[in-house]
Amino acid sequence: MRSSAFLGHVFGCGLLSLMLCGTAMAGSLADHPDCKALREAYPELSGKTLINAINPHTPGYEALDPNDPSKYVGFDIDLGESIGMCLGFDVEYKAVNFASLLATVQAGQADMSISDVYATSERAKAADFITYSKVFDGVLVAKGNPKGISGINDSMCGATAAENTGFVEVPLLEAQSKKCVAAGKEPVEIQLYDNNAVCIQAILSGRADTYINDVNTVDQAVKAYPDKLEKATAVTLPYQIGIAVPKDNVRFRTAILEGLKVVQKTGVQKELLEKWGLGANAQVEPEIVVK
Amino acid sequence: MEQFLHYLSLEYLLLGIGYTVIITLWGLALGMVGGAILAAMQGSRFKLLSTISRGYAIIFRGTPLILQMVFVYDALPLVGIRLSALAAGAVALAANEAPFIAEIFRSSLLSVGQGQITAGRALALSPSVIRRKVVFPQAFRNMLPAMGNETVSALKNSSLASVISVHELTLRSTQLASSTFDFFSVFFASGLMYLILTGIIAVGQLTMERLFSFEKSVKFRARHFRPYLSAESDSRYCDQVAGALSVPGGNASGIEIKNLTKSYGSNTILSGLGMTVEPGKVVALIGPSGSGKSTLLRCLNGLDPYNGGSIRVNGQLVGRTEDGRVFSEAEMAEQRRKMGIEMVFQNFNLFEHLSAIENVALPLVWSYGVSREEAFDTAQALLDRVGLSERYESLPSQLSGGQQQRVAIARALATRPRILLMDEPTSALDPELVSEVLDLITSLAQTGNLTMLISTHQIRFAEHVADDCAFLAEGRIVEFGPAHDVINHPKMERTRKFLAMMEKTQ
Repeated sequence: MRSSAFLGHVFGCGLLSLMLCGTAMAGSLADHPDCKALREAYPELSGKTLINAINPHTPGYEALDPNDPSKYVGFDIDLGESIGMCLGFDVEYKAVNFASLLATVQAGQADMSISDVYATSERAKAADFITYSKVFDGVLVAKGNPKGISGINDSMCGATAAENTGFVEVPLLEAQSKKCVAAGKEPVEIQLYDNNAVCIQAILSGRADTYINDVNTVDQAVKAYPDKLEKATAVTLPYQIGIAVPKDNVRFRTAILEGLKVVQKTGVQKELLEKWGLGANAQVEPEIVVK
Repeated sequence: MEQFLHYLSLEYLLLGIGYTVIITLWGLALGMVGGAILAAMQGSRFKLLSTISRGYAIIFRGTPLILQMVFVYDALPLVGIRLSALAAGAVALAANEAPFIAEIFRSSLLSVGQGQITAGRALALSPSVIRRKVVFPQAFRNMLPAMGNETVSALKNSSLASVISVHELTLRSTQLASSTFDFFSVFFASGLMYLILTGIIAVGQLTMERLFSFEKSVKFRARHFRPYLSAESDSRYCDQVAGALSVPGGNASGIEIKNLTKSYGSNTILSGLGMTVEPGKVVALIGPSGSGKSTLLRCLNGLDPYNGGSIRVNGQLVGRTEDGRVFSEAEMAEQRRKMGIEMVFQNFNLFEHLSAIENVALPLVWSYGVSREEAFDTAQALLDRVGLSERYESLPSQLSGGQQQRVAIARALATRPRILLMDEPTSALDPELVSEVLDLITSLAQTGNLTMLISTHQIRFAEHVADDCAFLAEGRIVEFGPAHDVINHPKMERTRKFLAMMEKTQ
């Protein structure tokens, strides 16, 4: 009982995932010799509580636990806490707008941000990134796809897209809109909101035709409203998802990078990707993105 | 929607209310401190302070609160000030509330009529007593509705702290909506929670308004002064009034005015006015509007400083030292007290928040070192004397104009003046109420040891009550002499014309 309660705290595992994760693995992460070595190399992190800035509106990655709203759950949450377990720090959360995630890290109000942030070179001006996952986007539309949208292409011309402020999809859609106009078609109209829930509502209420975001988020929305929404298609974007850390702190960035490498090497990350239904093949070899 | 009740009782959201309330209360409390400072700075004599205050208001009223929140939270750390999310939210909310609250303070202070402040000065109350006892209590009552409004708006504004990760109700409900996909149930629940909070504020505001209404306050205080009132005041009536009007040292004061000049900007009101009033005489001032009657009276008790010439009471210069330094307001109050100069105003200028008997008694307690018991005893006797023994606990707003003026006269007499100035005491009264006040003044004039100057348009009254009469025009005394002679046999053409015109209209 003691160990399962422990796991429940660390991973937020349900009963099913508890069987998937297995007691041995979680226990072994802290005891893993690589982690021991890392804790010796970075003693300043041991016993600390680090702040992770998140935009907890993305079920599957980070959101409230609907059964216990005092907790955040999701792949990003588990990943951060696994790295923390290896390096010896606890994690607390600071919930902010998506567009404020990097500013919060920059201002020192958070130590890092693990919140499904795509590591673009533009964003790397505000924070350094350590990548951990591939990006697959889904195109969410109303049931039956009345506008016949098939991706970020000419099928978007004249359509209205809901997006969150600061999302990488926004400049992609703006570029598409210019192409539409150049081809003598209607531009893409973009509505900017603050979080996934509002974007999904925009489609449900008929204000927007599509919402393009991480495929897992799209799948969750379809699962919640199977009669009203569907995923038109999936698109690949040329980015990876990354952990944002403050610029100019190479030592801290390296510590997180090394911790992530151990989490991957021990197979924990793939387990977590499976647990949250994101697919183990999303894992990527960590890279540093700086500008 | 079936989950609505579940969310309504969800501990997670209820705790969010806690944060909402905390940030609102801190925002308001700090905002009131800031508002008081800003209001004081804006009223300051120093131009730099008032300019800073205005500049602050322009910036913080002119930019959205959401930007201020983000600024305090994300930009201040760049200069080394790192506040917690809750503190940053409270500071930003307070910084935003401060200029609005400053305006509430200022407007409720200004809502206390200038007339009451003038009356306080004439009663020789010091500036600080006027502020504490007259202005602040009324301003406090006047600002309650606006402060209730501001509290509701601060509560709603606190929801913007959700953008800087304060775990208040809005942040919690949006996150819950995201994770449950149950958009409407969650927001209906949190909307209802906000309604309950604002409802509580509204009830609190109404309760405070009722609790601090002038009526309730008077009733509350009446319990403390009632024991001072004697049941059979009639038996002691004569002693008391004689006491109230007796003058320490025995004699009324004489007044000597020489070559008095006074102008407001380029507008000359008094130009070389001279007059001598013997001790105990009653002088009526008559003349057309704008002839300088009111200004002369205001200069006489130092409400307005004069520009040139001199006013002497029993040989002592009024309002300035022998070498010409004009008195400060506090020094002036001291002199009014010592010389015993009192004034009755056209618009009565009673203290609106005090009952009739308190209007008479409390200035004695505040400024003349009289015990409460003696002050209320005196006040009772004087109100009986002016025929208001049934109205001790009435507020000015519950009295007719004639009754208010009689209270004002009692209030002036309570300080045992040696000189009583009356500025058109019946001009603001309905015609049927004029006689009750004129009768009272007439009986006062007959007691003898009070020097009185009365400006009036009631020519027959002036003839009847006054020993001497002065006719003023264009800031000078045109004619001065025994009242009967000046009014019935004017020597000057200007006086004749005026009196003929007044005869026609009356």
